[in-house]
Amino acid sequence: MKRFALGFVVALIVLPIVCLVYFSLGFSQIRADAKPSALETAVLRAAVRASVRRSAAGVPSPPAANDDDIVAGGKLYVLGCQGCHGDLGGPYQEDNDLYPAPPQLTHAGTQYSEPELYWIVKHGIRMTGMSAYGPFYSEKELWSLAAFLRRIDKLPREMIEKVRQKKAG
Amino acid sequence: MGLRRIRARMKNFIAGFFAGTLALIVGVLGYLRLGLLDVRSDAAIPDRTARFLYSGIHASVRRTAPKLQSPLPQNDETLIAGGKLYLNDCVGCHGEPGKPPSDFGATFYPPAPQFSRVGTKYSEAEVFWVAKHGIRRTGMAAQGSSYTDPKLWSLAAFISRFPNLPPHVLEEIQQTPTK
Repeated sequence: MKRFALGFVVALIVLPIVCLVYFSLGFSQIRADAKPSALETAVLRAAVRASVRRSAAGVPSPPAANDDDIVAGGKLYVLGCQGCHGDLGGPYQEDNDLYPAPPQLTHAGTQYSEPELYWIVKHGIRMTGMSAYGPFYSEKELWSLAAFLRRIDKLPREMIEKVRQKKAG
Repeated sequence: MGLRRIRARMKNFIAGFFAGTLALIVGVLGYLRLGLLDVRSDAAIPDRTARFLYSGIHASVRRTAPKLQSPLPQNDETLIAGGKLYLNDCVGCHGEPGKPPSDFGATFYPPAPQFSRVGTKYSEAEVFWVAKHGIRRTGMAAQGSSYTDPKLWSLAAFISRFPNLPPHVLEEIQQTPTK
């Protein structure tokens, strides 16, 4: 049993070192214009999902959003988000320039709740193209964006029109 | 008798090694699955992590990027063409020459390198390759679908000469209205 224990410990020490050396020596492929494997996507997406759920647990529930808030959030989306996450009212278009590819929210919608969306936009997602927008948006803006994102794939036509309308006056 | 004992010990060792491997995989997956990995990008990146990531990325680029020679002439025109692209499309994250570092670039994890301040260790061919193919698991998107190779080469010429660009080149690109 002593040998078994030794083998166990050696694996725990050697494997992480092998991984670190493998990356340090540049053996890992790093070009972004490729598709992550299904396994990588499944594992990391679940990790992000679980981490966001845990981190956003302390975020207070959202202020009740009315139509004006949602439209205001939509205007922010058009200005700041749709370059990566899909044009509002536009056709589905996959973005394979970033790795992992940004979710096409206008078509796929989102599983995240409003407090979780607020948290993601504010803090960003590490090691993806999703940066933190906390320094650039007010709390009110973050919440209106979250309210919009929550409903992004289920908006009635006239709401989309309202969002896309140029400000009158 | 010695051989048989050694064999039995080896067998135990290997069984232990496999068990350890399995435990490690289960441990990592469990850690991720429980959401214990912090994913927020607006946290300061520890120096050691940053060094590890940047040097691993550089090593991979060095290994992968073909050692090509730029097809463009080495002159001010090339630099100016590249500089204009840089001002249009890269400054948002990588910093404008003569300006404070980009706030936006700092909100990524790892943060976008500020070329205009610190230059780059990458060769011209490596900058070309990175711009064209992007870097996975960062905010650096592949630009190969947006720009032709000659444009990317002019960009590479410009970026790889930071921070030693001729002042008149910088003046030239900053005074002409971009877009």
